Amino acid sequence: MIFRFLLRRLLWLVVTLWVVFTISFFLMRAVPGGPFDRERQLDPQVEANLRARYQLDQPLWRQYLGELGRVARGDLGYSYRLADFRVSEIILQGLPISASVGVLGLAMAVVLGLSAGCASAVCRGSVVDVGLMILATVGIALPSFVIAGVAIILFVFLIPLFPAAGWGSWSHLILPAFCVGAPYSASIARLARTALLEVLSQEYIRTAYAKGVGTGGVVFRHAMKLALLPVVSYLGPAAAGILTGSVVVEKIFSLPGLGVHFVEAATQRDYTLAMGLILVYTLLLFILNTIVDLCYRLLDPRVEIA
Amino acid sequence: MVPRTHSVWKWWKAAFRPVGLTVVGIVVLAGTVWALRASQLPPADFTFSNLGEIKTVDPALVTGASEGRVVEALFEGLTTWHAENLTPQPGVAYRWEISEDALTYRFFLRPEACWSDGTPVTAEDFIWSFRRFLHPETAAEYAAELWYIEGAKKYTTGQVELGEPVEVELHTKPPGALPFAAGVIVRGKLVGLWDQSGLRVLPEWQGELATWSRGKPAYDLSTPVFFVEVDGQLRRFQKGAQLAGTEDYRWLLYDFQAVGIRAVDPYRLEIRLRHPVPYFLSLMGFYPFSPVPRHRVERYGFPEWTKPGKIVSNGPFVLQFRRIRDRIRLVKNPYYWNRDAVRLEVVDILAVESYTTNLNLYFTEQVDWIPTVPPEVVAELRKRRPNEFRSFPLLGTYYYLLNTGRPPLDDVRVRRALAMAIDREQIVEKVVRGGQRPLQSMVPEIISRYVPGYRPQQGPTFNVAEARRLLAEAGYPGGRNFPPIDILYNTSEAHQAIAELVQSQWQQHLGIKVGLRNQEWAAYLSSRRRGEFSVARAGWIGDYVDPVTFLDMFSGESPLNNTRWNNPEYNQLLEEARLERDPLVRLQLLERAERILMDELPAIPLYEYVSQNLVRPYVRGFFDNPKDFHPLKYIWIDQQLKQAIFRKEGLGVLFGW
Repeated sequence: MIFRFLLRRLLWLVVTLWVVFTISFFLMRAVPGGPFDRERQLDPQVEANLRARYQLDQPLWRQYLGELGRVARGDLGYSYRLADFRVSEIILQGLPISASVGVLGLAMAVVLGLSAGCASAVCRGSVVDVGLMILATVGIALPSFVIAGVAIILFVFLIPLFPAAGWGSWSHLILPAFCVGAPYSASIARLARTALLEVLSQEYIRTAYAKGVGTGGVVFRHAMKLALLPVVSYLGPAAAGILTGSVVVEKIFSLPGLGVHFVEAATQRDYTLAMGLILVYTLLLFILNTIVDLCYRLLDPRVEIA
Repeated sequence: MVPRTHSVWKWWKAAFRPVGLTVVGIVVLAGTVWALRASQLPPADFTFSNLGEIKTVDPALVTGASEGRVVEALFEGLTTWHAENLTPQPGVAYRWEISEDALTYRFFLRPEACWSDGTPVTAEDFIWSFRRFLHPETAAEYAAELWYIEGAKKYTTGQVELGEPVEVELHTKPPGALPFAAGVIVRGKLVGLWDQSGLRVLPEWQGELATWSRGKPAYDLSTPVFFVEVDGQLRRFQKGAQLAGTEDYRWLLYDFQAVGIRAVDPYRLEIRLRHPVPYFLSLMGFYPFSPVPRHRVERYGFPEWTKPGKIVSNGPFVLQFRRIRDRIRLVKNPYYWNRDAVRLEVVDILAVESYTTNLNLYFTEQVDWIPTVPPEVVAELRKRRPNEFRSFPLLGTYYYLLNTGRPPLDDVRVRRALAMAIDREQIVEKVVRGGQRPLQSMVPEIISRYVPGYRPQQGPTFNVAEARRLLAEAGYPGGRNFPPIDILYNTSEAHQAIAELVQSQWQQHLGIKVGLRNQEWAAYLSSRRRGEFSVARAGWIGDYVDPVTFLDMFSGESPLNNTRWNNPEYNQLLEEARLERDPLVRLQLLERAERILMDELPAIPLYEYVSQNLVRPYVRGFFDNPKDFHPLKYIWIDQQLKQAIFRKEGLGVLFGW
């Protein structure tokens, strides 16, 4: 069954990629401006030479078919803007960095969020609960660039623990990952708290207590699993959000990830790079959603996957 | 526990927990380690921020300032620029001769100049590089700057007239050619052309060609047939060779041998111009006109030849590696002819974009130089780091374009009124705040220090009463019935702030309502180009130190002239200046042209750009100039001072974990 499920997903993936490709292709060319627009306008003949070089002088349908063929063969072509590189090289260099920040950020979000959520739920109504939930509310409200600003002032200038920006060592990773993950950890904390409170009021928990299981055992062995469900379902969109939302953080910390490429490719009309990134993001989001669906099933066997 | 029902799921769950989690963990860890690989770089002698990733290191294809900083370190042209006064200095050419008529330049190349693999740089290298630069296939954006050379424009545009010499590149490669070398080239004279508009033939070939074409069905001639006389023989060329009796070809261009570039011998290069160009020697030091290594380009092709390990260069540095959007590492070129004068061994060029991040890096001693700072900290930096913050007037003008094709801006009185109602002092002091100077002329004031004899012509000054009078005279007393206009600018806080201030000044002083319209860069350029604006913000940084770079863009035929303003007298003056051989008379002609521009006001200059470098005091050999040009070959580090400063600030050994 699981194989059939995956197979069907795979089929949908192909369709999704094609639709995304088609829409992006025509949208990109429909917006005003082109990849060769400069303040210093080019001589018409020079611009014509440039267009010919990138086959932009051909009719749109032929460009579309040509590019579709290339992409289908796995060739994303050369970037217009970063002319020395293939799109695949750019993605190959940027993706591991974005992924490192994303995964670490997500891990931080989950660990921090779950611990805070559990602590709040267990000590419901106490100072700890109120304090943590105020923090969480503030955390949700603050965008990551504000958190980044505060974190830089604190941990770069006042207590010089981390480098201000750049890439090259573990220490470069911590602050960005924290800034990416913080807003999500706040949401996770609130979700986990609510879910855990609800689960803790169920009868099988009372049974567990009656059997003489301690609070820790009840929470971690019996209640946690169900309480995780809303958190997991939140992780899908959260992962997507972290992936796309890391743009700002990548810029602030000057991380050579994919986020900045994405924005710049769009503003500079770098058709090939933008297309490559769109397809990669589509692929990633699709995979993440599939994993989340699988995890549902893992946590709660009552969920049917179709 | 909830009962488990499906056996597949049981298997999945059982397998996933221990194995799956471990695998995921390992993959994540391995991925991060991989992403962090090569992280422990030995530190560079000098690190600076380049404000973004560069487009390419291929000199023929670069355009921006960021690219320039890298390319000028890697390559060297015939001349170079003096770091302070920007006069042309010997580069690969150690001396030159200019003919009496100022049209022929003869460059003497130094025999010790080498590529970084030890191959000598010869006149042939320059010829090949210029040819590549001008070739339509390269599509160099600066190609038009070499069109001063005889025949160069014809070569790039591929427009050949009957009777002119042509070169035809065929698909077959000459024997022993490198993989990316040009195909066999056939040279001859274009004697006839047969396309949709009919058959055009030189008289002496009339009979023969007419006979040939008569027998052919006159179907699709969208791909024209070229008749070329090669060594007395007639050959017919058509793309795809669709018609019987024709040959296929790659390019058919004006014969490069007829272009005014030739080698007298391996170390003497002669260039012939169409008209005198007083700044031609400077132009030859501009980084796009650096030579490229033919033996590498033809072996690997573009862009493969630019990869570290494949690229060789002839400048003070060579490319060691590039990490996209992270850094470019340069190391000293052991084959550079003037290597003894180069004092940096390793240079890191960071691609940090955000101004604030740059500042953070600077303050935590990760970089030694940042080429710009956030405008809001300029005042503070002047106060706290007066030795490190270096601001200098640039050869650049920030101005507003007026669309003279659109009422009411077609009326010069309205344009003057608008110009007179702008308080530039307020703009630079309240909004821009980076030490910029208000500008009343299109050509920046600083030019008079570098081009003696040129006085930038002043436009109308701030004068509200006169502005109101002019507006009333034009039929809009007190701004009544003034048609709605708006200010177009590309999305940016700085441009927005200026536009808002101008909007309020016009409202306050003239009583007219002005809208604001911001568009992101590409859309903004497209609007400008199509003339879909009333007032548009613009900026221009001069390519070379000469007034004409600012004046040319308002000539009628300039593709940069988006204002619809076309003044025959102005065009005439520029044309006369182009042909004038006496430099002083030429400058007078240009002054007269700018006078017209400033009276007619198709554009309102607002202020002169300034450089805003933040440079550590131990960085020596860093000079200020209006091109914001800071060649790495002059820069060196005062190590003693550096140690002293780092000790005092208590940083330096940080971030080692």
